[in-house]
Amino acid sequence: MAGVSSSGSALYIYACTRMRVRRSQLIPREDYLRMLNMSLPEITRFIGETNYRSEIDELGTSFSGIDLVEVALSWNLAKEYQSILELVPGDLKYFTASYLRRWDIQNVVTVLRGKLQGMRPGKIKEVLVPAGRLDRVVLDRLVAEESPERVVEALRGERFYPTLEKELPRAMETGSFAHLENELYKGYYARLIADATSGLKGGDVFEKYIELEIDIRNIQNLFRLRASHVHEDIRELMISGGSFKVDELQRLSGLEDRDEFIDALKRQVRMVPLLNALEEIRGTLALHEVEVALTRVQLDQMERMSKRYPFSILPVLVYLEEKKYEVANLRALARGKEAGLPGERLQGYLVM
Amino acid sequence: MVDVGTTLEMVQASQLGMKAVGAGLAVGLTGVGTGLAEMGIGAAAVGATAENRDMFGLALLFTVIPETIVIFGLVVALLLLF
Repeated sequence: MAGVSSSGSALYIYACTRMRVRRSQLIPREDYLRMLNMSLPEITRFIGETNYRSEIDELGTSFSGIDLVEVALSWNLAKEYQSILELVPGDLKYFTASYLRRWDIQNVVTVLRGKLQGMRPGKIKEVLVPAGRLDRVVLDRLVAEESPERVVEALRGERFYPTLEKELPRAMETGSFAHLENELYKGYYARLIADATSGLKGGDVFEKYIELEIDIRNIQNLFRLRASHVHEDIRELMISGGSFKVDELQRLSGLEDRDEFIDALKRQVRMVPLLNALEEIRGTLALHEVEVALTRVQLDQMERMSKRYPFSILPVLVYLEEKKYEVANLRALARGKEAGLPGERLQGYLVM
Repeated sequence: MVDVGTTLEMVQASQLGMKAVGAGLAVGLTGVGTGLAEMGIGAAAVGATAENRDMFGLALLFTVIPETIVIFGLVVALLLLF
């Protein structure tokens, strides 16, 4: 049993089973299809009857409409992730915490963006998801700071502080945090790889997941860049550490013809589900459909790997990822309904 | 000169002793086997029940299935002794 320490195997089995049961309780595809035909109040009531009940009840008095759904979803996600962090044992906790740091980056960048645009602290607080290492208290303190510089200063001692400090002046100058965000995420992935290869038991399985995630993210980015006709040097935008070398990705992005690009990509890939998905993508031009198809491949492949390593970090990660997409789906549904989009259009944006 | 009576008694006693040791081993080792088998199932059962109370009955049933091993051991022990 890869990834299982001999003394704690019962704990691993316990935690992984809990994750599997929780996963089985996520909203199934049929329910999404039903929700596509509902109005926003109906959707709110529907999710109020599922795992989101306590949040909807609790926040029902202070929020309404789309805000209620948004805040309830964020709260639920944060609560769920924190509870998982508490129940997973030993090395799994270390890996889970390491994975969850991505929320810190998202929260910090959100706070910085909000501060730069002079948003009210209360409004910024609504969109934060305190699912990472920085909890609600720390985030409240950050939100209360006056300027982006002060926010960064308050984060002194965090892992990503050096990157923040280095990149902030440029971001402030250009008014765009895109480059800062890219650097933070690249640092995050490099750190994930370092954590996985630090010699802890089960690190090899974690590394497999990281490689998959980086590959899919890079391929998605390549498609995004193609869609926006970017042909410059993209090496800076790619994440290293996956099975593709950054130079290879640069070469792929240089291919003009879309079919040629997909063929070249297929020659490099060995994963059968990804090959099939790439073949299906050939006919689709809508970027969001390409992204959803690739995300689906990632989730399916993770699920497959989690069956191969049943008592490892993978069942936990599968649940964390699927939960993330459930929340994203519900948010997209609620937002779409609010904007009056028809169900058929929304369906293309859901990861089901 | 060997005392034949004493030797026979000794042999009989040692046979009885051996049976008792065998019976002990049969119950003891199967008990260990059952414990090992129940470790994983029990952990999964507690995990599943923690998430979903309705699983309790089924989880309990799965957990006690390896008890059959120790019952086999007990039967063998009883056969040995009586």
